[in-house]
Amino acid sequence: MAALHNHSSLRQSSHPLLFVLQKSSTREDEPRFGRLSFQNRVPMDTPHYVAVSSRGVVPHLSQDMMRENTNIRAMYTALEDSSSTHSAIPIVTSLGFGMLEYTNYVEAIQKLRPDVVLGMGDVLFGHKPGVKRIDKMGDRTLVWVKELADGMKDEENGTPRPALFAPILPIEAEQQSYYLDALQGELVDSVDGLVLYDTASIDAIPKTLRHLPRLSLGEMNSPHKLLDAIALGIDIFTISFITETTDAGIALGFSFPAIKDTDLDTPLPLGVDMWSPTHATSLSPLRSDCLCYTCTNHHQAFLQHLLNAKEMLGWVLLQLHNHHIVDNFFAGVRQCIQNGSFEDERTSFEKTYTAELPEKTGQGPRVRGYQYKSEKSEQRKNPPAYRSLDDRKEKLAEAALPSPSADANDLEQQGFAEKAE
Amino acid sequence: MSTSSQSAALKFEIVAKCSTTKARASILTLPHGPVSLPIFQPVATQASLKGLTPTQLAETGCNLCLNNTYHLGLKPGQETLEKVGGAHALQGWKGNILTDSGGFQMVSLLKLAKVTEEGVRFLSPHDGTPMLLTPEHSISLQNTIGSDIIMQLDDVIATTSPDAERMEEAMERSIRWLDRCIAAHKRPEKQNLFCIIQGGLDLEMRKVCCKEMAKRDTPGIAIGGLSGGEDKMSYCQVVSACTDLLPPNKPRYVMGVGYPEDLIVSIALGADMFDCVWPTRTARFGNAVTSTGTLNLRHASFANDTGPIDADCACTCCRPEEEGGLGITRAYIYHVASKETAGAHLLTMHNVHYLLSLMGKVRAAITEDRYPEFLRAYFRRAYGDMARVPTWALTALKEVGVDLLA
Repeated sequence: MAALHNHSSLRQSSHPLLFVLQKSSTREDEPRFGRLSFQNRVPMDTPHYVAVSSRGVVPHLSQDMMRENTNIRAMYTALEDSSSTHSAIPIVTSLGFGMLEYTNYVEAIQKLRPDVVLGMGDVLFGHKPGVKRIDKMGDRTLVWVKELADGMKDEENGTPRPALFAPILPIEAEQQSYYLDALQGELVDSVDGLVLYDTASIDAIPKTLRHLPRLSLGEMNSPHKLLDAIALGIDIFTISFITETTDAGIALGFSFPAIKDTDLDTPLPLGVDMWSPTHATSLSPLRSDCLCYTCTNHHQAFLQHLLNAKEMLGWVLLQLHNHHIVDNFFAGVRQCIQNGSFEDERTSFEKTYTAELPEKTGQGPRVRGYQYKSEKSEQRKNPPAYRSLDDRKEKLAEAALPSPSADANDLEQQGFAEKAE
Repeated sequence: MSTSSQSAALKFEIVAKCSTTKARASILTLPHGPVSLPIFQPVATQASLKGLTPTQLAETGCNLCLNNTYHLGLKPGQETLEKVGGAHALQGWKGNILTDSGGFQMVSLLKLAKVTEEGVRFLSPHDGTPMLLTPEHSISLQNTIGSDIIMQLDDVIATTSPDAERMEEAMERSIRWLDRCIAAHKRPEKQNLFCIIQGGLDLEMRKVCCKEMAKRDTPGIAIGGLSGGEDKMSYCQVVSACTDLLPPNKPRYVMGVGYPEDLIVSIALGADMFDCVWPTRTARFGNAVTSTGTLNLRHASFANDTGPIDADCACTCCRPEEEGGLGITRAYIYHVASKETAGAHLLTMHNVHYLLSLMGKVRAAITEDRYPEFLRAYFRRAYGDMARVPTWALTALKEVGVDLLA
């Protein structure tokens, strides 16, 4: 590993985390290799991702599977969503929609003691804020971040306070200048990192805060988008497409650096739809060179069967594989940043792989009410598992008793049984 | 009397017998390794145990699980199974597999199934076309699946059926179908065909069936048709009557039983093997099987309970982190049960481990000839006062020499 230099002049006594970049940034937008260290935790090299969790688990993965068969280093637990009032943001919970007051947030953080807490940002999702709203965004966020910083000051029992990542709002720097000044001034000892809702906000980061780790909550729905953001200097990502592809029955299949194939006529897919019956009898792993639990222990035929039979294990095995692919992707990214080949490899990756993930064709796992926002006149999310055969009573009554051999052929066609001689 | 038997693909050795009850501890050696009996077999219906990987299943202590022939016949189908090389290769399971005949699902899942001498007529659940499952089809499919123990196709009707004539027909037909299954079985050197004793709750009919089927000398014997809503008293009488008549040197499998107290009483009556979907199904509803009874961890009273699911349990969930476990708390299960499938996986692991560990304690008690004491301790813990133990259990145990009220 290349030598790491601490250009951040962090005072470890006041900061619960240490973030060191490989070399000092001379330009504003360039890929960064760093190491994020917390007390009593395995350090995490960046760029990297934090796995998106739901109710304390990465969906489908029981804790033993996660511990033994993934390299997941950090988990992201969400509490926030859409617009807000002066003191609260609305959130989606398993019990329905609710408002999250920032005071409750502070209390929750004091109890939950995460390693990193993300400051609540007054951010709109889905539409652009108006002029009046923009005025309020910085002010509200400043109040909330201050409150959070104050609320975490107690260092009882020697527990380090959670590291605080402050939002950089997705508006122009001058529109949030008062807030940004506070981050560089009175809050400088309380803020350990930055949260970005939009990669473009990188331009709004003041010079004196550039050494801080940057976590992106933006929509990165493909590895290409990740590479673009890494190129601009994002360090940590929450990636929702991993679980989305898993639920869609897709096995990710890309690597960074991309495989070199000079005979490439058409770009390679980023993943393979395991619902396709073409995999039904394939004894190959999901991906030939993959060393994940799934590819080491199972084959495509089993995956295809599990999806087809709607067995939960299908999504477990895909989730392990897909996280492994993304783990390796980031490991490759870090290596290329270190040896200076990142830009070339990024270009090559763009050429090698299609821009989008494969289309979802199969039915995903059963969706729980709190996992989506209901909209008007939508179709039911979970098709009925069983249907009545009563309407066929007459058909059965009418059907002549088929001869045993004809039935056996029927059965054989259904794959149910072979006619015994 | 012989205490062991050997056939091409199976060895059965009794290692200890309870000096009071009819319980036995034995070792059943199958093509994929030895299994200590008495044992509970978890049900991996469609070649997967409800979200657990084969590695996780093995960690519960399981070395013999069920797959359902009916389900595997529909998905992935015989042709695929043939190409993949059977169920072990399909699911990456190195332990033993037992498959049922498919007949039970015909009758229980498909209310329009009709049984004739030829086989079971039913409508395809996919497209409604009339189909027929014969003993020959069932065995052919199980031969392709490659399970270590295969079951004969039997004519199953509810034990509670009042139609004695139909019951007798079903029992006698099951014997005729056993002959057809034996004749159709192409891999007796790799797979063990078990017969299934029928005859409802009629002990005379059961006797006839036991006698006839024992003559066929299958490597193992199942007692079928039970666990279908009959009262427990009758259940115990049938199990006990059968074990009295069956050759002692063959494994005895009572199908469809999985409640802890049913298991330990049936073991006292001389049964060795059991299967049931209950422990894994109930896990998905947030229920934990524990040494003090079944707990519904979705109940609000567990929301802040930071204790393990069962303090006496050594499963991956319950073991503390210092001992390599996950240190999962009841409060956490409360938080995830029915919300995230991983919650179901955790409880499935726990419940299967609990039952297998219970079987381990049963074996130890039989081997050390203290099974009556084990039974007493178990029921005292579960009910506090022995007077609250259900009558059927008291009666059944008294008949094998254990008077819980004494």
